[in-house]
Amino acid sequence: MRSGFFLQACCSLALSLSSLANAHAADAIAAGKEKADMCVGCHGENGISQTENIPSLAGQQDQFTQWQLVFFRSGARKNEQMQPIAEQVSNEDIRNLGAYFASLTPPKDPKPDDNPDLSKKGAQAAVGRRCASCHTDSYAGTKAVARLAGQREEYLVKALHDYKSGVRSGGAGAAMTDVAYPLSDEEITALAHYLAHL
Amino acid sequence: MKSMLSRSVLAVAAIALVAGIGQVKAQDKLHSYQSGNKEFWTHPPDDWFLGDETEAQKGLAPPSGPPTGASEAELAALIKKIQLPPGFKIEVWAPGVLAARQMAWGDKGTLFVGSFGLGNVYAITDKDGKREVKTVLKGLNMPTGIAFQDGALYVAAVNKVIRYDNAEANIDHLGEGTVVYDDMPSYAAHGWKYLAPDKDGWFYIPLGPPFNIGIPPTSVSQIRRVDPKTGNAQLVALGVRNSVGGDVDPRTGRYWFTENARDWLSDDTPSDKLNMISRLGEHFGYPYCHEGDIPDPKFAMGHKCSEFTPPVYKLGAHVAPLGMKFYTGDQFPAEYKNSILIAEHGSWNRHKYQGGRIVRITVDPDGKNAKQDVFATGWIEGDQGYLGRPDDIVLAKDGSILVADDWAGAIYRISYSK
Repeated sequence: MRSGFFLQACCSLALSLSSLANAHAADAIAAGKEKADMCVGCHGENGISQTENIPSLAGQQDQFTQWQLVFFRSGARKNEQMQPIAEQVSNEDIRNLGAYFASLTPPKDPKPDDNPDLSKKGAQAAVGRRCASCHTDSYAGTKAVARLAGQREEYLVKALHDYKSGVRSGGAGAAMTDVAYPLSDEEITALAHYLAHL
Repeated sequence: MKSMLSRSVLAVAAIALVAGIGQVKAQDKLHSYQSGNKEFWTHPPDDWFLGDETEAQKGLAPPSGPPTGASEAELAALIKKIQLPPGFKIEVWAPGVLAARQMAWGDKGTLFVGSFGLGNVYAITDKDGKREVKTVLKGLNMPTGIAFQDGALYVAAVNKVIRYDNAEANIDHLGEGTVVYDDMPSYAAHGWKYLAPDKDGWFYIPLGPPFNIGIPPTSVSQIRRVDPKTGNAQLVALGVRNSVGGDVDPRTGRYWFTENARDWLSDDTPSDKLNMISRLGEHFGYPYCHEGDIPDPKFAMGHKCSEFTPPVYKLGAHVAPLGMKFYTGDQFPAEYKNSILIAEHGSWNRHKYQGGRIVRITVDPDGKNAKQDVFATGWIEGDQGYLGRPDDIVLAKDGSILVADDWAGAIYRISYSK
C-alpha cells in the first residue's frame, strides 16, 4: 500500500514534470511563432521558402537555427539581409525561433524527382564524402548540424559553393570549408539535387 | 565437375560476401588524417578529424553548447550546484556574455572580455549596481586574448595583436585600432591566443600547432614574449602544444603556463600540464614526448623524454586547463597567497568527462613540492553533461575572483568571507 502510493506519487510527479517541460516547450513554440511573423516575408509561410536562394527553415534543427542567428548577430557569419534583422533579436527570441521552426513539418517536394540519375550520383557522392557522419543517415541533421533533406536545391548549391570558396564562415564553417573544398561542380550539383528530393 | 562448380560458386559467393562486408567496413573506418602539409594547415578539418581516431575512442567529438548560453534561470540553478571550500560563495556576476574567454580590467573598472568563435569583444560596466554588457568590437578573427595596459585595450586575434587607445573613454567607438604585432601564422586550429603581461609590459603569447599531433611548422608550437611598443619578439619556450593560459609568478618573475596534451591516445593519457619556464628556449617535449614521460608512438623520432623539461604538475588527462592566475589578493585565507588557480574547461576526447572545475596548485617558486586541491567543482553532470565550462580567471580589486564560462556564456564571482 505504502510503496504503491509512493510509486503513484512518483509517477504523477514524473508526469507533471514532463508535462511542465512540454508546457515550456509549447510556450517557446508559441512565442517563436509570433516572432516569426517577421521571417515569413522572405522565408515563406510555414517555414517553406518560395524564393530562390533563401532557405526553408521548416523542420530545421533547433540548435542549428539558434547558432545561425547568433552568428548573424555577431557578424561571424556575414549576410547583408540577415545581419540587421538578427541584431534585433534577443537571446530569448533566438531560443523561441529555434524551437518554433524545429516544430514545423519539413519541406517535401510534391513533384516526382525529374532526374533520378542525378539523384543517384548525389547519393553516391554523399556516401563518398561521408556527409551522414555529421548530418545523420536521413540527412535530417542533429543538434547543431543542419537538416539538408528537403532543402531548396539552388540554396544547397549556393551553400556548398559559399563554403568551398570560404565566403561562408562561422561555427562549424571550418568543418564545412574543408569538406566543400575538394568538391567538384558536378558533385555539388548532384548532391544538391539528391538532398533536395529527400 | 559438379564438385568443382559448386566450389567455384562457393568461392565467388565467399568473395562477394567479404567484399560486401569490406564495403561496410570502409564506411565504418576509423578517421585518420595526414597533417604534415600546408594544405592540411590552411584547410583544416574540424576538431575530431584532428587526430588518428582509435577503436577505443571512436566517435568522440567536441560537444556543442547552447547557442544563446544559459538563461538567467539556468544560471541561478547552476550556481547552487557548485561546491566550494567553507567560507567561499559563488554568484553570477554577469549573464549574457556569450562564449566568454579571457578577461582584463580597465583602469576605470570596465571589464573587457574576449570571445571564442563569435568575433566579439565585450565591455562590462557597472550601471546603478547592475552589470551592463556591451559588445564593443565585432567581426574579429577569434579574439580570445585580452589585456589592458597604459589606458589601452589589447586584443589578440589569431594572427594579430591590436591596440585600442584610451579604450574606456572611447568605449562606444573603439574604431579599427592599431596592429602592434602580426608576425604570426593564420592557422585557425589551435590558433586562439592568450595575453599574459609581465612587469615590463611585454606579453607572453602562446602559438599552437594546427593539428593534434605531427611535426609542427616552425612558426608555432611555442611561446613568445612580445613587446607591443616595438613589435620585438623573443622565442621563450619550444615544444608546447595548445596553451591558452599563463601568468607571471609574483615571487620570481618567471612565466608559468597551462598546456593541453594530445588527444586520441586514450581516455587516461597523456596528462595535461602545468609548466614553468626557468630558462630561455626551454623545450617542453611536444611532439616527441608527453607529460614528461610518454614518448609519442609515432613522433618520438628517436628522442628520449629526458631531453625535455617535464611539467611542474600533471593535472590529469583531458581536463583542459586554460586560464590561470597566481592569487595575490588579501580576501582569501592566507594560505591562498601565491597559489595558482586554474580554470579547467573539461574534456571532449574522453568517455567520462573530467575537469570542468577550478583547481588550486600550491608550489614552491622553483617548481618543487606541487600539490593540488580542488577549489570549485560541479560544472559537469553525469558522464558528458556540461552545465558550463570555466575558461579564465581574473582577480578583482577586492580580492575576489571572476571566472569566465564560454558554454554558459556568463561570468561568475567567487568570494570569501569568514
